[in-house]
Amino acid sequence: MEITIREEQGISILSLSGRLDLASGATLKDEIKGLLDKERKLLHLNLAQVEFINSSGLGVLVSIMKEVRLCKGRLTLSDLASYVQEIFEITQLSHIFEIFASEKEVMDSYQSETVS
Amino acid sequence: MTHVIDQISELLIQLQSPDFYERESAVRELGEYGRDEAVAGLVIAMEDPDLGIRELAADLLTKIGGEVTSQLLISFLAHDDIATRNLAAEILVRIGADSVPSLIAGLDNDDHDVRKFIVDVLGLIKDDQAVPAICERLKDDNINIVCSAAEALGEIGSPDAVEHLIETIRQTADARLQAVEALGKIGDPTTLPELEAMLETNDPMILYAAIEAIGHIGQKESVERLSGLLDHADNTIAEAALMATINISIANNGRIGCDLPLDKFTDFLFEGIRNKNDRITRFTLDRLSHWYGSNVIESLLDVLEHVDENDLDRITRVLGEFGGSVSHLIVKKIAQATTPVKLTLLEIIKEFIDDDIAGELLPMAGDADPDVRRKLAHILGMSGSPKVVPALKELATDKNGHVRSAAYGALGWLCSVEEIDFLFEGLNDKYSDVREAAMGALIFVGGPEVVRRFNDDLYNDDVERQRLAATALGMIGDADVVPPLLSAINHPEPSIRKSAINALAKIREVENTSPLILALSDENSSVRKAAATALVTINGEEAVSEIRLLLHDDDIWVRYHAINLIGDAGSKEHADEIMSCLDSDQDIVKIAAARALSKLGYRDAIPAIDSLRGDKNQDIVEAAEQAISVLQEVK
Repeated sequence: MEITIREEQGISILSLSGRLDLASGATLKDEIKGLLDKERKLLHLNLAQVEFINSSGLGVLVSIMKEVRLCKGRLTLSDLASYVQEIFEITQLSHIFEIFASEKEVMDSYQSETVS
Repeated sequence: MTHVIDQISELLIQLQSPDFYERESAVRELGEYGRDEAVAGLVIAMEDPDLGIRELAADLLTKIGGEVTSQLLISFLAHDDIATRNLAAEILVRIGADSVPSLIAGLDNDDHDVRKFIVDVLGLIKDDQAVPAICERLKDDNINIVCSAAEALGEIGSPDAVEHLIETIRQTADARLQAVEALGKIGDPTTLPELEAMLETNDPMILYAAIEAIGHIGQKESVERLSGLLDHADNTIAEAALMATINISIANNGRIGCDLPLDKFTDFLFEGIRNKNDRITRFTLDRLSHWYGSNVIESLLDVLEHVDENDLDRITRVLGEFGGSVSHLIVKKIAQATTPVKLTLLEIIKEFIDDDIAGELLPMAGDADPDVRRKLAHILGMSGSPKVVPALKELATDKNGHVRSAAYGALGWLCSVEEIDFLFEGLNDKYSDVREAAMGALIFVGGPEVVRRFNDDLYNDDVERQRLAATALGMIGDADVVPPLLSAINHPEPSIRKSAINALAKIREVENTSPLILALSDENSSVRKAAATALVTINGEEAVSEIRLLLHDDDIWVRYHAINLIGDAGSKEHADEIMSCLDSDQDIVKIAAARALSKLGYRDAIPAIDSLRGDKNQDIVEAAEQAISVLQEVK
């Protein structure tokens, strides 16, 4: 899995590409930990290019979410491909994660929170 | 002309008829004339014993308006009957600016009651042209008229009255209150010195009015002067000073540049929110982020039921910012809250749920409302605390299916391997949502034991269990599931064979693809198509040599699918075989072949595709033209 990271309006945006499983999940976890260590607590995962995610990948995402919560950060997801969306719905993870249709909606959401 | 006068005279007589319908008809007809004589008749009808006729006459008089109508109505302001008098005043107000000259002329009336009514009516009409005449009434011999004049000037709000009102404040003690209130309504900042001087008075009524007036004027320079009254011994005065400060704060977008002793006013402010006072609500919520204290949090929790959705969002955010420190207060509040508030509070607490809070929430598993139990299940699951498992298992046997579904989902998040037996039980639930939630939980738990049990389920007598097993194995998606899925390609049920193949296509990491190659000859066309897709997904271009046999499949849609796959895979090696499909007797196959050949960039196909341009099917012609256009660009 490839992970590219960029900063936009104070939010660390991680674009993931490929398959999210145990091995690639460990890499993702390390990246997130690195960002949290640098006090980057507003994190967004763009999953548009994630074509496959298995149960280990889901476990990794939940563990990342717990980590972000502990640091009083915020984790958002967007652009879930239909298969990923299906697995999120079946496992009801859509109740745990803040999921947006697009990155623009995510940015708007952060923006409105700042304004209010 | 005489004829019209005669007709009006008859209608005036008809107005005296004992018959309701005759009188009503007369009023309607008089309304159509709009002449002075008819107006007189309509004014008479204002005294009719029937309310409906009186209102009809009032409507018609309003419509006609004009000087004569106004003058006649003014004469009714001295009427003995209070209802008639009020009706006349009401019509004059409705006529509005047109009646003002007549009303001004009537201010010299000898009857002080009439003068007072006229002033009141002018105040309600709110027309600036009446201001000088009303100012004159501030010197009326009758104090009631002076008071009414001050009130009317406040209603009109013209700065031209300011000087006269200040004079009244200084000279006429009995009208001081009304004059102060009027200055507040006019809102002219030049009056502030006069009003601030009133803050020294011992008269609580005047003091209250002056504070209120200063608040209405809304200058932030007044805040310091008002702050001295916030600790006034009389609570009413202190609260008036705070309310005035709130008004000034709102007029200045919250920038008043001083701290306020809000703790003293917690009850007043939150009572204001409960009573839906928009200004107090806005001010209080604006201050929340820098106003701490457990009494504030408790008060906030108490007003949740009284605010609109936007304010609720703001409070939710503020409570969220306070974090875990307020969680125990929230838990305490939840116990006595209404269902909507419980749901809101659970949503807030979700943000900082931990082991301890989860433990405190456990009694809510017995809540009467299924929405609350459902939300609770989600939140308990998010806590990650093993001690909530028994409560979640209890909720997974709830009488409500949504609650059971949420509980199974939450059990999955806890990844509790010990609960595999329990989770598999959920696959037998009567509701599909619950079965899928149990399946989702098992996908989450994963691992060799779950895979083994789902593998067994592939051959369960219950077809639904077979379906869930095939889906779940695909979603678990690790190396352990590949062997059972490969075996499932030989499953007696075609839908299971297809699900297993689709799952393998998603997993991709499949070393032994022989069962998939065999599936290209499956008796079921959907299975053959799925196998072709899976092979291309797993082996890429190499798979084309296997799937090319489907170019001659009996099923037209399998042929169509195979052509598309080969075109997408980009393998020119078998382009000749696709070219043969251009001669198919099926139009859809011809179209797919032309498109595939253009994707492959196979220029040798141009003559054969060109021959399709003469086809009678326009879709074929278009596909051929597009393909040729693409191929001509290929070097």
